[in-house]
Amino acid sequence: MGGDSGRPVVILADDDEAVTSNLAPFLERSGFTVHVAPDGEAAAGLIERLDPDACVLDVLMPRADGREVLRRLRAAGRWLPVILLTQVGESSERAIALDEGADDYLNKPFDPYELLARLRAVLRRARPGRRPLSASPSLRAGDLRMDRIARRAWLRDAELTLTPKAMLLLDYLVTHPNELLSRERLLELLWGFDFPVGTRAVDNRVAELRRALGDDPARPAWIATIPGQGYRFVPQVEESR
Amino acid sequence: MNRSAPGTLLRILLPALAGVAVGVVLQLTEPRVRLYAAIAPALLSVIIGLICTAALVVRVVARQRISAAVAAAEAAASGRAAAQAAQDRLRFLARLDHELKNPLTAMRAGLANVDQALGRLAAVDGARTALTSVSGQADRITRLVSDLRRLADLEALQIEMAPVDLSKLLGEVAEASAGLPGAADRSIRANVPQAPWPLPLVDGDRDLLFVAVQNLVANAVKYSRPGDTLEIRASEDGDAVLVEVADTGIGIPADEVGQVWEELARGRAARAIPGTGIGLALVRVIVARHGGRVAIRSREGQGTVVSVWLPVPGRSRTASAVADLRQRRDTAGETAP
Repeated sequence: MGGDSGRPVVILADDDEAVTSNLAPFLERSGFTVHVAPDGEAAAGLIERLDPDACVLDVLMPRADGREVLRRLRAAGRWLPVILLTQVGESSERAIALDEGADDYLNKPFDPYELLARLRAVLRRARPGRRPLSASPSLRAGDLRMDRIARRAWLRDAELTLTPKAMLLLDYLVTHPNELLSRERLLELLWGFDFPVGTRAVDNRVAELRRALGDDPARPAWIATIPGQGYRFVPQVEESR
Repeated sequence: MNRSAPGTLLRILLPALAGVAVGVVLQLTEPRVRLYAAIAPALLSVIIGLICTAALVVRVVARQRISAAVAAAEAAASGRAAAQAAQDRLRFLARLDHELKNPLTAMRAGLANVDQALGRLAAVDGARTALTSVSGQADRITRLVSDLRRLADLEALQIEMAPVDLSKLLGEVAEASAGLPGAADRSIRANVPQAPWPLPLVDGDRDLLFVAVQNLVANAVKYSRPGDTLEIRASEDGDAVLVEVADTGIGIPADEVGQVWEELARGRAARAIPGTGIGLALVRVIVARHGGRVAIRSREGQGTVVSVWLPVPGRSRTASAVADLRQRRDTAGETAP
């Protein structure tokens, strides 16, 4: 883990040279050692050879796209953090990206500082040699149990009745515990884009989840509000069975 | 069809009348001719009359069939053309989005590089200002691209329908509007009826409907002046709930009113005010996805009112349906945040 200099090693795979030639020096200057791959096969080769700390994969690439590389990694039991650069704006597409075991995703054209923030977050969250929460089919957080494949959740023995969007939000919260998640980011998750005036849409879904979980916003055991910033999922999350 | 009825009747009866007339003449002038000779032409005439009638009916029916078929074909063709145009537009937006996102990603990363490099040379004259300006423009193009993408997504998005209490929603919009820039200088009023009965529920996606109305209010604030009045109103209108957002603002010139619902439409007066020209197009798409319709009336220099009709489910049924809606309202009230 980590390069010789102690800098995290990151593979950046994108077939557009304009993107990699600008992103790589930015990430280098931000403290990473970056190796660029122009397609999926090259990325897979670099990952095999360098054992990097994380990789950033564009979904649309020649010779094995980002998803294909991710599937192969997970099938081989490689759990290094992966950020997908998605092309499609729809949230369902993202849900699929998460189901496939991506640790996070970003929609192009993204703010490079946002990529930096997410890279640091996935590295912080990484559990070396262990499957990331985002690639686990079933999770447990206190009395809450989630079957992520079937998109079902139980609190103690009672199944939660949630709208699809609230379930998507819960899934994201549970797979990103103890992390400050901005309203804008959660909005993008739920809707696939940011509304001009819509962060209250996130607040409404959080309120729905709190009701379902019996959470008291004043003394939150599940979802804490970080004033002026966003939300944080409070309990410890573990893989279940 | 109705207007030709007397003519048709005459045409039907004429042969028969002619037959009767011939019979009467024969009877009077040739009393020795047997009665059947008088009746035969009359019968013949009746038969001819019947045949004429049948021919006429066949012609009329055939004409109707043909014109209906032509109309249906025309409607289908124009429907196909409209659907095709919508498809083409979506495909164009997707391509535009696709072609712009990589260059924009590269530009933003490049600017971030320059930003990092400049960090060490903070005193470079004017460079920081130029960088900030270019970054701002890159962000603006990004926003425009994602706005267009958002519209395309909305047209295809699966909508989660649930009963929505518009009274409550409009109250929230009014409350949220207080935070808009310039809102403090305008008088914003919400008027939602509670008597003789509250507004019926509509079926829809609460978040999307909120965004639609909020966009209208944001527009009204944007295109009005300090001291102007804004009203958010709702009422029952037949099978729909009518939501209106009205302002005493700058209004829209008559020749531009028809274009305001189009993407990127920016009026002459609006050019001085920042915006992407997506807001009303977004409202139109959201309302259309809910089976509703929109309209706008405006007078330059006097103000604008935008009307949104949202269908009330089961409205054509009577008291039991109303009771059911009330019941659903109560349930919705319990589960609403």
